Amino acid sequence: MSKEELPEVGDNLTLETDESRRDFLDKFSKGIFGGLIAGGIVNALAPVHAKANMDGSNLNFSTPFKPFELPPELTGEDAILRMMRDLQKALKKPIEQRHWNMVIDLRKCVGCDACSVSCVAENKLPPGVIYRPVIQQEIGTYPNVGHVTLPRPCMQCEEPPCVPVCPAEATWKRPDGIVIVDYDQCIGCRYCLTACPYDARTFDFGEEYIDGAADAPKVFLGKEKAGKYETDPSYEYSKEWKREGEKSPIGNARKCHFCIPRIEKGMLPECVVTCIGRATYFGDGSDPESLVAELIALPNAFRLKEEIGTHPSVYYIK
Amino acid sequence: MTREKMGNILVWILIIGFGVWGFPGILDRFANAHAHTAYGSYIPWGLWISAYIWLIGLSAGALMISVMTYVFNVEAVKKVGKMAFLVAIATLVGAMIAVGLDLGHPLRAFKLIFDPNLHSMMGWMAVLYTAYFVTLCVELYFAIKKEQVFGVKQKSVKKILTVLGIWSIPLAFAFHGGVGGVFANVVAKPFWHGPMLPIVFLAGAFLSGGALFATVAYIWRPSQNKEEFLKMMIFLGKTTLALLILDEILELSEVYVGTFYSAYGEGNLWQQILFGQYWYTFWIVHILIGVLIPLLLLTLKSKSPRAIALAGLLIAGSFLAVRLNIVIPGMLDPGFAGIAQAWVHSKLTFSYLPSIVEWQVLFFIVAIVMAVFMLGKTILPIYQTAGDE
Ligand code: SF4
Ligand code: SF4
Repeated sequence: MSKEELPEVGDNLTLETDESRRDFLDKFSKGIFGGLIAGGIVNALAPVHAKANMDGSNLNFSTPFKPFELPPELTGEDAILRMMRDLQKALKKPIEQRHWNMVIDLRKCVGCDACSVSCVAENKLPPGVIYRPVIQQEIGTYPNVGHVTLPRPCMQCEEPPCVPVCPAEATWKRPDGIVIVDYDQCIGCRYCLTACPYDARTFDFGEEYIDGAADAPKVFLGKEKAGKYETDPSYEYSKEWKREGEKSPIGNARKCHFCIPRIEKGMLPECVVTCIGRATYFGDGSDPESLVAELIALPNAFRLKEEIGTHPSVYYIK
Repeated sequence: MTREKMGNILVWILIIGFGVWGFPGILDRFANAHAHTAYGSYIPWGLWISAYIWLIGLSAGALMISVMTYVFNVEAVKKVGKMAFLVAIATLVGAMIAVGLDLGHPLRAFKLIFDPNLHSMMGWMAVLYTAYFVTLCVELYFAIKKEQVFGVKQKSVKKILTVLGIWSIPLAFAFHGGVGGVFANVVAKPFWHGPMLPIVFLAGAFLSGGALFATVAYIWRPSQNKEEFLKMMIFLGKTTLALLILDEILELSEVYVGTFYSAYGEGNLWQQILFGQYWYTFWIVHILIGVLIPLLLLTLKSKSPRAIALAGLLIAGSFLAVRLNIVIPGMLDPGFAGIAQAWVHSKLTFSYLPSIVEWQVLFFIVAIVMAVFMLGKTILPIYQTAGDE
């Protein structure tokens, strides 16, 4: 794929639904790195920051989903394609009939932090705000040592302790199981941060990566230009959020939301498609035919801190 | 110079000193929001939240003195009921400023008064503080106009005050026990979670508030004869001593349960409180200054008003350390070992020492509390009126 043909970040590259399969496959055949194709589809099918309606009215319910065509099913195809099929199927159902689950295969995670970094890029997370850190731990004693890596997104608990504590009713669980924060309502008391047993919420202190950077516009790129990436809005919850002054999401609690704007456009969460080990799976757990439903049923699947009764929607395989 | 005059001068010097030193911190808070605070996302609450529960506790304690005046008709404090209201209002104002400045979006908090989430303990706080503030103002109003208010006979006013006083008993239990509940209900923090904390909070509130009031009453005593004054101070001293002993029994029980099998549960956190980096907040500020010295003063010099007042000041002032040692240790245990190393940032750590800005803001708030009291005392007829007789 030549440089000119590469999608620009933010380009609107949605495919027409009636585009012929031949055209579609033609596009893909241009790909050189076969292994990257599946991941590439996801970002090529729709803008990286899928803008839905901007008035926030969809904080609670999805925007209507326009299905797009996927390549024909093949045996042994990449799990990403299977998950995209599952996703499309789920999106055709009413929101309350689907339940998003994530499954993370700890045996396949290499601890590369690609998911953390891509999440930061997707959601334009500032310094100190992180939705999916990858916890790394050495275990055992020499010479019998091992290394455990544990990506930790928000567990999207079915009984989320972070929700009832909110004095402003600014955080709640959607019918599809995703726990969201309404930035416009949140007063920034941080009670939910203390209530989350998984430390999955962080507070936006208003920092920027370019804070303190040198600024000499005519001499080199300059702070302003270099920081454009940060000052551009993010599209969390399918709404435009420009971080400036003390405007939300600055001063708010922030957390992983399974990339709602992407899901609603039929794309998998950013961490799923950037995982180089294909260790993260996503889909509708309420559909018994989905890949995640199969994985959840494995005898070596488990959830974190099960004993406290939060019933996480994120499963791990070990 | 009379004691009152000396007190006035000293307090105004403190107000100006704290105000001048704290002002840059307030400016910084408004200019840079939370950028220069030491709390972060893993220790989300710090000095300001601790100061809030400290001040609200002082307020609840002062309220209880007024209850003794107007509900239980305790002879010894019959002339200081109004002053108790004023102390309660001033500390409540300080507490609200502390918690307000701690919020990410303080202006949005006003909506909680009308539309709180009653599933949230903090939502309840908004309701209860509003009720408390209104109650205090109404009580103070009636206490001042005790003789005749809009034609209502003095007797009826007295009745109103008694009714309001009775109403403030459950209110004080609810709002301060409730603050304990804000912490005690957090299942994710085993150090806070449990039925003890609301009771510990209440005991601490009555102790610290009562102790503060002993100092205030000593300096700005109403016109009393010597005997009345001594009676009042001894009563306040005895009450403080009793509450101090009760509070220490509760604390001992907590330390004992927390450390007996120190390898399990909260043992590690108690180790940190007792022997960790900030051991001196517990041993020096709390135990020595806040417990042992006052205990000696209140027992050996139980009839000396000056000793009682000093003990009160030491207890009330050092109680901030007690609050800090409840709030901060509760958050020191990571949800997962290694999470602070997973994504490294100064706001993603499990250690906390208040920043200069946080201290400045705290001192500014204390200056405001003192100023509200001093101005209130000057403007309102706090001292004896005909109705007190
Ligand atoms: S993991 Fe934490 S933030 Fe996420 S839903 Fe559960 S309690 Fe809430
Ligand atoms: S920080 Fe925001 S979302 Fe969290 S409890 Fe407070 S108001 Fe609610």
